[in-house]
Amino acid sequence: MFNPEILIVGAGLAGVAAATELARAGHPVLIVDRAARAGGAIHRQPLPGQAGVATAAARWNRLIAEAEALPIRWAFETRFNGVDHQGTALLTGAENRMLRPKALILTTGAREAVRPRPGWTLPGVTTAGAAQIQLKTMGAAPQGRVVLAGSGPLLIALGAQMTRLKNPPVAIVEAGRPFAHPLTSLRLPLGYLREAAGYMATLLAARVPILTGTRLAAIRAEGETLVSTLTDGNTSREIVADMVCLHDGIRRNDIGLTDCPALSVLRLGDCAEALGARAALEAGRAGGRAMAQALATGTTPTAPNSPLLDRERAAQARLARIYAHDDFAALHSLPSDTVICRCEGRTLDDLRALGPAPRTRELRLLGRFGMGPCQGRFCGEWVARAISDTPQAPVPAHPLGEPRWPAAPIAVADLHAAAPDTGAAPPHPHGVHE
Amino acid sequence: MNAEGIYDAVVIGAGVVGASSAWHLAQAGLSVALVDAEGPAAAASGASDGAVSVASKKPGPLARLATASLLYTRDLAQGGPLSSAYHPRPSYIFGTGSAESAAIDALIAKLAQLGTAVRLRADGDATLLPGVGTGIDRVVALEGEGHMPGYAAVQGYLREPRIDRFWPAPVTALEESGSEVRIVLGTQTLRAKRVIAALGTATPRLFPTLPVLPRAGQLFVTDRGLAGQLPGALTSAAYLLAKTTAPSVLPKPPVVIDPLATGQYLIGSTREDHGDPTRVDFETLRELMLRAVEAWPALRARRVIRAFAGVRAAVSDGLPIVGSAPGYERVLLATGFEGDGICLSAVIGREAARMTAGLSPDAALAADFAALSPARFAQVQEGAA
Repeated sequence: MFNPEILIVGAGLAGVAAATELARAGHPVLIVDRAARAGGAIHRQPLPGQAGVATAAARWNRLIAEAEALPIRWAFETRFNGVDHQGTALLTGAENRMLRPKALILTTGAREAVRPRPGWTLPGVTTAGAAQIQLKTMGAAPQGRVVLAGSGPLLIALGAQMTRLKNPPVAIVEAGRPFAHPLTSLRLPLGYLREAAGYMATLLAARVPILTGTRLAAIRAEGETLVSTLTDGNTSREIVADMVCLHDGIRRNDIGLTDCPALSVLRLGDCAEALGARAALEAGRAGGRAMAQALATGTTPTAPNSPLLDRERAAQARLARIYAHDDFAALHSLPSDTVICRCEGRTLDDLRALGPAPRTRELRLLGRFGMGPCQGRFCGEWVARAISDTPQAPVPAHPLGEPRWPAAPIAVADLHAAAPDTGAAPPHPHGVHE
Repeated sequence: MNAEGIYDAVVIGAGVVGASSAWHLAQAGLSVALVDAEGPAAAASGASDGAVSVASKKPGPLARLATASLLYTRDLAQGGPLSSAYHPRPSYIFGTGSAESAAIDALIAKLAQLGTAVRLRADGDATLLPGVGTGIDRVVALEGEGHMPGYAAVQGYLREPRIDRFWPAPVTALEESGSEVRIVLGTQTLRAKRVIAALGTATPRLFPTLPVLPRAGQLFVTDRGLAGQLPGALTSAAYLLAKTTAPSVLPKPPVVIDPLATGQYLIGSTREDHGDPTRVDFETLRELMLRAVEAWPALRARRVIRAFAGVRAAVSDGLPIVGSAPGYERVLLATGFEGDGICLSAVIGREAARMTAGLSPDAALAADFAALSPARFAQVQEGAA
């Protein structure tokens, strides 16, 4: 009888590392990704014919060479729509079928947080993460006058990458004051400091204005341009651009990803805990070995831990202190018509109409928050903060209800073509990298 | 409540039947509290498709009560508590093959007997409703029915400020002594002269001898789309057959395609004999969507964005339980509506409130209410004891 595959969702560092360990232990492995090539967000590969923007290219090249020498089956341009209570997973897209994997490893990475503010849904406003993926795929910087705003190290990194591709941002607007914490900064790992120093040198040489302690409060459209209002708490100013890239940190991406009583499920890398690339590689390898061990002994795999993961955890905590800001308090003073839920077009007013402490069911059924295709992936945190007395405080993991499938919308046409798992061999032999 | 802290009535269960009962009690000038283990519309009412349908009701008492309730729902929607919850719309039944066509004939005969509340507007082939799949043999159009999401109806009734609310507050005991019922909510106890127990799936916790069982149904929601708007619910005639048979008799779940006010579609539903709302699976989704697309091909361009299961309270003989609770003098049960509570809630709430206020039910409906009495299980209970 056909030996069922271990399904790995996400062909980034964690997923590919886990796949190599499992394949080496003799397990059939299927790794799926929405993108056309392996790489994930960090090592996003350029389109054919485009020059790449290499980030730690040697690390990726070593890993992918190792993986390609092993009998791993790859399915790109394939969406994982979730796993149901029976242990059936649905894949749609290039590989379109249901399957009952032997085990499931989720390495779906991080998602970006973008705090709602007036104008954040205007055309021309995007996220810094999306702009960076575009830049890595096309090998070119976004065109026109670009403002990067919000908070976190990604703004500096993207600004430097754009500068090297000959279109520096007109300004980087950072809510925190990262340069005001030199002692904490010096305790970051050397790799972090070297990377940051490289970005800063590029930005300083190009005289890119970096406005710290400054919030981008609102955006409005004027003709073809976007006018952003910046405030540092005392004074306000406006800045004109063609494009605004927002970024308010990264979070683990686990909406729609459920546990399953019929199946071993392990989350590795940023989708378990957003600790960045080094940790994802380490956790992918260790998690792959833990799953192989668990399958051999019939036990439940445990999430990996190691001194390196502890160091990365400490480094991320320091980064959070360095970039600390009080921007989320602004949620309480936003204009009442500010859109909070983009899928359903629900505003702060709609949220307040639900009363002082709405429960999840009221937020969903009456407020329609979290009822759109994103299932609250983007608005859940802001709904929770906006109804909290302390919007700066940590929020529950799933404020708009426990995750349930679909992890991604299911096209009905794809669903029809998705044959149920009959226990037969998969459509292509292992070891074919298409 | 009165000076001694005793309510005229406490209603247990803030689903659509409980909320309607509480509203009617408050209108009658009685002091009333509404209690729920979780909150408003937390169970079957909140997961319902919202069809106010007489066509789908079992012939006999249920269909007659549904007809009365439909007419009364329309009244309550004229500036009353259901004015933003209830919307009239046409409904369509489709069938393929002789068994389903016979079910449609039976439906037409049933509706004619029930009067003019729901009228047959047209009876023909697939061309009757442009957009219906070409493989469909027969389509009938009905007028007079409507749509009312359960949570919207509950919200409408709860706009009444004279209802005291207690939730989340599971009832741990219900004690009757003399002229008073004590409703124990953990550490807190309410006192009432009368109780209406609209318990739904929680019925067995307080009334373990009654044959009320959980029956789950999987439901799926699509995204919005510009093309292919359906003017009203499109229901498989197999659903009419399902309502008169046990769930295990039908190998495949009949499909109902429900257009929502948002422009989305709700596709349902299975009838499964368990109470686990997390059991929602891809193979059932595919089965239902295959049949949904056969009936309404425009669905093929949509995406499924949400999947969930609602758990209904079903009674072994397919009829709800309304009447004096076994073992109590002052407790009225109103439970076990399975999928029919949305349509029946207006009249059940009105009549439960009348009975609680010491009045007899509407004379025209008295015989039908008698058929719902929990006394019909008395022999079963004695036999079991």
